[in-house]
Amino acid sequence: MKKTLSYLAWGALAVVAAFCLAGIALNRGEHVNSIWLVLASSCTYLIGFRFYGKFIAARVMTLNDQRATPAERLENGHDYEPTNKWIVFGHHFAAIAGPGPLVGPVLAAQFGYLPGTLWIIIGAVLGGAVQDFVILFASMRRDGKSLGQMAREEIGKLGGFVALLTVLLIMIILLAVVALVVVNALVGSPWGTFTIAATMPIAVFMGVYLRYWRPGKVLECSLIGFMMVVGGIFAGQWVAESPAWAPVFTLSSAALAVAIIIYGFFASALPVWLLLAPRDYLSTFVKLGVIFLLAVGILFVRPELELPAFTRFTDGTGPIFAGKIFPFCFITIACGAVSGFHSLISSGTTPKMIAKESHAWPVGYGAMLLESFVAVMAMIAACVMQPGVYFAVNSPAGIVGATPAAAVETISSWGFPVTVDQMQTLAKDVGERTLFYRTGGAPSLALGMAHIFARSGGGQAVIGFWYHFAIMFEALFILTIIDAGTRVGRFMLQDLLGHVHKSLGRTSWMPGVIGTSAVVVLAWGYFLYQGVRDPLGGINSLWPLFGIANQLLAAIALCVATTILIKMHRARYVWITGLPLAWLVTVTFSAAWQKIFSPLPRIGFLAQADQLEAALESGAIAAAKAAETQALIFNARLDAMVCGVFLVLVAVILIDSVRIWAGILRGTRTSEVAEAPFVLSRLNPEEV
Amino acid sequence: MKQLRAFWEIAIGLLRELSDENAYRRHLKAHGRAHSGEEWRKFSEQRLRAKYLKPKCC
Repeated sequence: MKKTLSYLAWGALAVVAAFCLAGIALNRGEHVNSIWLVLASSCTYLIGFRFYGKFIAARVMTLNDQRATPAERLENGHDYEPTNKWIVFGHHFAAIAGPGPLVGPVLAAQFGYLPGTLWIIIGAVLGGAVQDFVILFASMRRDGKSLGQMAREEIGKLGGFVALLTVLLIMIILLAVVALVVVNALVGSPWGTFTIAATMPIAVFMGVYLRYWRPGKVLECSLIGFMMVVGGIFAGQWVAESPAWAPVFTLSSAALAVAIIIYGFFASALPVWLLLAPRDYLSTFVKLGVIFLLAVGILFVRPELELPAFTRFTDGTGPIFAGKIFPFCFITIACGAVSGFHSLISSGTTPKMIAKESHAWPVGYGAMLLESFVAVMAMIAACVMQPGVYFAVNSPAGIVGATPAAAVETISSWGFPVTVDQMQTLAKDVGERTLFYRTGGAPSLALGMAHIFARSGGGQAVIGFWYHFAIMFEALFILTIIDAGTRVGRFMLQDLLGHVHKSLGRTSWMPGVIGTSAVVVLAWGYFLYQGVRDPLGGINSLWPLFGIANQLLAAIALCVATTILIKMHRARYVWITGLPLAWLVTVTFSAAWQKIFSPLPRIGFLAQADQLEAALESGAIAAAKAAETQALIFNARLDAMVCGVFLVLVAVILIDSVRIWAGILRGTRTSEVAEAPFVLSRLNPEEV
Repeated sequence: MKQLRAFWEIAIGLLRELSDENAYRRHLKAHGRAHSGEEWRKFSEQRLRAKYLKPKCC
């Protein structure tokens, strides 16, 4: 009886999921309520989790609770610690949730809400969650080894080296692109700039408080820090209205880029307890709180989507980034559907905390589904705006025209009416001077979130606060990624240089620290500055590069996962990781090929360089702009080269993996798995 | 009521885990030491050094 009821309940859920998916997919010409997206995604996630996730756990990986996990066997009171599964779930989710699932869907909304939403839901259930789960399982069976170590052991030395090199290169592009998102969110905004600047002394105060005044009281300190940051948002409004202070905090994009580069250098070289760690604690809590608030806000307000299911930009002529749905929608939304970076987290801290093997199912598979839901919420936040407003905020001046009048004319001619008055009123409501050309996704996400929060309570009177609260939330954890990423890049570089000269590898030798920090900061700072100077807004070239890189890392992770499945004699289930791998290779290689070789200058880096060179040679560009144009030509070729390097690296690891798979399947190579030996678990799950 | 209490305990447990307060308690227990400013600084330096050797997710 109980079983029959369970079948009926799951059957009903499947019908609801199918009905909602059909509702959002087939609806044309009428506004769709956001609740349809919420229902379609959550029902699909539940079914995916219960059936597909469980199938992988039981049949493919045969999770065994009798087998002691590394957390039990190697418990040391530090990183190896059997932990309650829901705490590990929250910890893992907090670690994988970054700006990617928030920004990507906002940018991909230029195609309409449908392509991105379907990719987020389907990609996560069949690809992203599978990758996270299998890598978590593999790392857990190998005492918590990293992706690089697993690649080296399972594929070979070459695979391990390529994985490490790819991570370093991806980090440089990632840091540049997220820094560009912050620059575009703060440009010409004294309120936003002041609020973010205020978080730095607040973080230093928190660091000193935590180290000397109240050691160990992190939660108490973070609460005080949060109240100070909220105070900073209110003070920011006063600063923006002050004739004396507003100009001090009104910065150009170039000035902001330089400020972030300088900040990145100091944050990397300073002791972590002073700036990085306190801000990291604060940003983690703010991030979880805001995601929870957004979910509650959407359920409470149930806003209608203003953007259509498809826009005219499915033809590849989009103003935010150029290119058709295939492949560009699938690389623009990486985190939220499939993110290679998650494989680094799944093979990092999380496997060392899992108490029972079966917990890997909710943690690895489930946390990714929750992240995917965050991406759906970001899509909703972007689509509740009037389409004209959405495109006016997100389109660069180089595409829509350098004046507000020209921009509204261009955008209205696309069938998305918007007026200068409308944009000015909106800017005034949120305490900004202008909302035109605020590319990068962060301002439009903040607008959408502010709209939802304000409708939940307070109305238009508080929309300015909520807009800047959302900007603060986005910038806060992006800056934490910049701090930590620069630091990690520095350690990687010091590790490499240590082979050249011992002192360069010492993390306590100040000249080495300063030198390597400067090299890493200059590497991502160069791409950031290039993005700032790009007349197409920078996001057009940098975000696809980041998306390609991130998805290529996912391809590496899936190569490792497939190799492990074959070595475990699970070749009949190889499609579980093989299909997402084949899809990602197709998407990323197509996108990278187009980004390098497309004859259209807005898509192809080389075509863009050729076009600029031809214009320079024909005298169409003024002599005063010649040096700037030369730099743009160089940058376009550099981007093409970076893209090509990514492709070669992943092709190497793919070919190496296929060679190993073929050898094992033909019987010419032994299939030894590098798992830790079986030890009987003595841990009672009730104890954790 | 019981379920609410369990949820609350997990929520607080998560916050303590994210803030490293749980890890600090484990550290004190594992080494049989008492809390002091010096002990926290020692623990924190070790913990943060390991934490920021890994990139943060995008």
